[in-house]
Amino acid sequence: MSSEKTTRGPAWLGQYLRDHILLIAIVAIFVAYPFLYGFLTNQFGIVAAMILPETRTMLTILALGLFAMSFDFVSGYTGYLSFGHAAFFGIGAYFVVMGFNGQIPLVPAELPFMLLLVLGGLVAAVAAFLIGLISFRLSGVYFAMITLGISEVLYVISNNWDYITPGSSDPSDGVAAGAPSDVGFFEPVLGIPFVDPLNAKVGPFGDETLLGFDFGDPEIVSYFLIGAAVLLCYLAMKRIIHSPFGKVMIAIRENEERARAIGYNTFRYKMGAFMISAFFGAIAGGLLVAYVGTIDPQNSFFFLVTGFALVAAIIGGLGTLAGPFFGYIFLEGVREFLAREGSGGGLQPFLEQTLPGGVLNINLGGLTINEALDAFMTGHGEFYAGIIFVLFVLYIPIGLLGTLRQRLGTDSVAKYVSRRVADRFGSSGSQPAE
Amino acid sequence: MIRTNELTKRFGGITATGDVDFELGDELTSLIGPNGAGKTTFFNLLTGALEPTEGTIEFNDDGEWIDITDRNTYETAQLGIHRSYQITNVFPTVSVLENVRIAAQAHGENSLRFWRNVDAFDRHYTEAEAILDRVDLLEKADVAAENLSHGEKRQLEVGIALAGDPDVLLLDEPNAGVSSEGIDKVKTIIEDVATDHAVLLVEHNMDIVMDVSDRIVVLNQGEVIADDDPENIRGNPDVQEAYLGGYEAGDLDAARRRTEEDRSTADGGGVA
Repeated sequence: MSSEKTTRGPAWLGQYLRDHILLIAIVAIFVAYPFLYGFLTNQFGIVAAMILPETRTMLTILALGLFAMSFDFVSGYTGYLSFGHAAFFGIGAYFVVMGFNGQIPLVPAELPFMLLLVLGGLVAAVAAFLIGLISFRLSGVYFAMITLGISEVLYVISNNWDYITPGSSDPSDGVAAGAPSDVGFFEPVLGIPFVDPLNAKVGPFGDETLLGFDFGDPEIVSYFLIGAAVLLCYLAMKRIIHSPFGKVMIAIRENEERARAIGYNTFRYKMGAFMISAFFGAIAGGLLVAYVGTIDPQNSFFFLVTGFALVAAIIGGLGTLAGPFFGYIFLEGVREFLAREGSGGGLQPFLEQTLPGGVLNINLGGLTINEALDAFMTGHGEFYAGIIFVLFVLYIPIGLLGTLRQRLGTDSVAKYVSRRVADRFGSSGSQPAE
Repeated sequence: MIRTNELTKRFGGITATGDVDFELGDELTSLIGPNGAGKTTFFNLLTGALEPTEGTIEFNDDGEWIDITDRNTYETAQLGIHRSYQITNVFPTVSVLENVRIAAQAHGENSLRFWRNVDAFDRHYTEAEAILDRVDLLEKADVAAENLSHGEKRQLEVGIALAGDPDVLLLDEPNAGVSSEGIDKVKTIIEDVATDHAVLLVEHNMDIVMDVSDRIVVLNQGEVIADDDPENIRGNPDVQEAYLGGYEAGDLDAARRRTEEDRSTADGGGVA
């Protein structure tokens, strides 16, 4: 509401920046992360590598964090647990791959990636509509079970339908974009359509330059572009939640019977929310494919994909939107740290490399320390994540962001931070909206 | 405003509402009757929460009677028939203001807007604040509904029902469980909302019923046994027989004393 005149730029811009200090700070940290990672691992070597996930890991975290947010969008705000949300992730991922390979009727092969991404999102929204027609007749655990059942059906299909894999390979091993001999290479271009400087090729063999900067590593460019897409999706979902429509979603979560009694056709709003969340869930799936170029049933339609989103949402705070994203980072961080998963750092390589050989070979009742590390840490990330999840449910049921909000006595940490910063630095006049 | 024609609802072999012919005018009508008389069932039928077994319900929409027998709850609410609940039924974790604001937003087309911030729709806030002022909750506007006292929750119940400028208000025991000090406040609110709405009130407190009603309808075992002004109801032997369980004529006052004694016993029994 401020109409102050400044020479440094339009007033609304200053106000916008002041109101979104926290968001800007967090985005800045994410932008700086690849460089920080390089710097810290150079400086502190294996100690930093132990704690920090690699940029490549961060890429998948971004995509799956978006998926966790899309899960929270419907589950945390309308109260309908979308237990089969992996279906939409899978639809998004498979649509991009199969669409590119020309296996989807009416979709010509080798369409631009951005188009496939958005089309996949729309297909997922239509799927959500059909699933909703059946499942919104029920509530509570029955709704969750119907959605889970449908996603399991898709899982079985994706595991067994030969049509998915052109040639003779087993569909359960997954399918790669650009695999059939008559299609070109999969070179997904992500960015704002028709604005050339804001587009770049994503993937391990993608562009190394963006906006004229040469980062010397396609991973970093992919990380920025996928990160930007995730940020855009987050802002869009947040905007919807703060709209009149979003307020109806919350009313349904709080008390659906009363929401109907005051005049809302709640079915319509639940369906809308479900379709929107399916759209963004599919975008997450498509973004994952953009980097890795392949998809398999285990990492898309499998029910544990929803399971991790649910765990991330509970750790981060159901019904906080941003919470599940950070919950997912936390969860992955724990898995990476406590158990060697893939090629990442973590506690085990750190100990193996820093402890003297003599210590590693100390025998503890039949096991050397080295063997014990192998037995308890290699590939057991889920085990430790599970323990942490149980602790969260028992002691912090409202999650990280939920707890933070409660402690600060606010319903928006971002507004709280903006207010505090304004108080401290005596920002002239304009108050952030309550 | 609203009328029923041989309205009947049976649950299996039990007739909860039987052949009720009733018309609510622009007045404060109380619906009384012993527990299980079918008062809440009647409310549920009027709002569409239950489907009648037989009979019709009509609503006077700007001078024209329309059949609303098959309408469901959100459709009757959109028409202008709002209700409050016997058991508090609010949106617990959101603020008192938001409880009323979301109800105000239900009227009109704004609820499908998903790309503008809710703060841009001033009139819902203005309406909600005016209603909170009316039900005496304005200073509690920012409190989460679940943190209100029981009496305040009853006020909020009425506040939510008021939002969206309804034509008919169905108030289901707005005083249920309210302490004796709180009752006057709720009674004032009932009298106030009756000045510009047609009100159908279910109430067990005879003091309030006799005091505020223009007209009283007595239900017993699903049937209307009396429909008159308070003075005549007071002297109606059928009513006393059915409702008061065979007290002597003119003994409504005794019944009133009895309920007051019950209440003081309950209060004294350690119920805070």
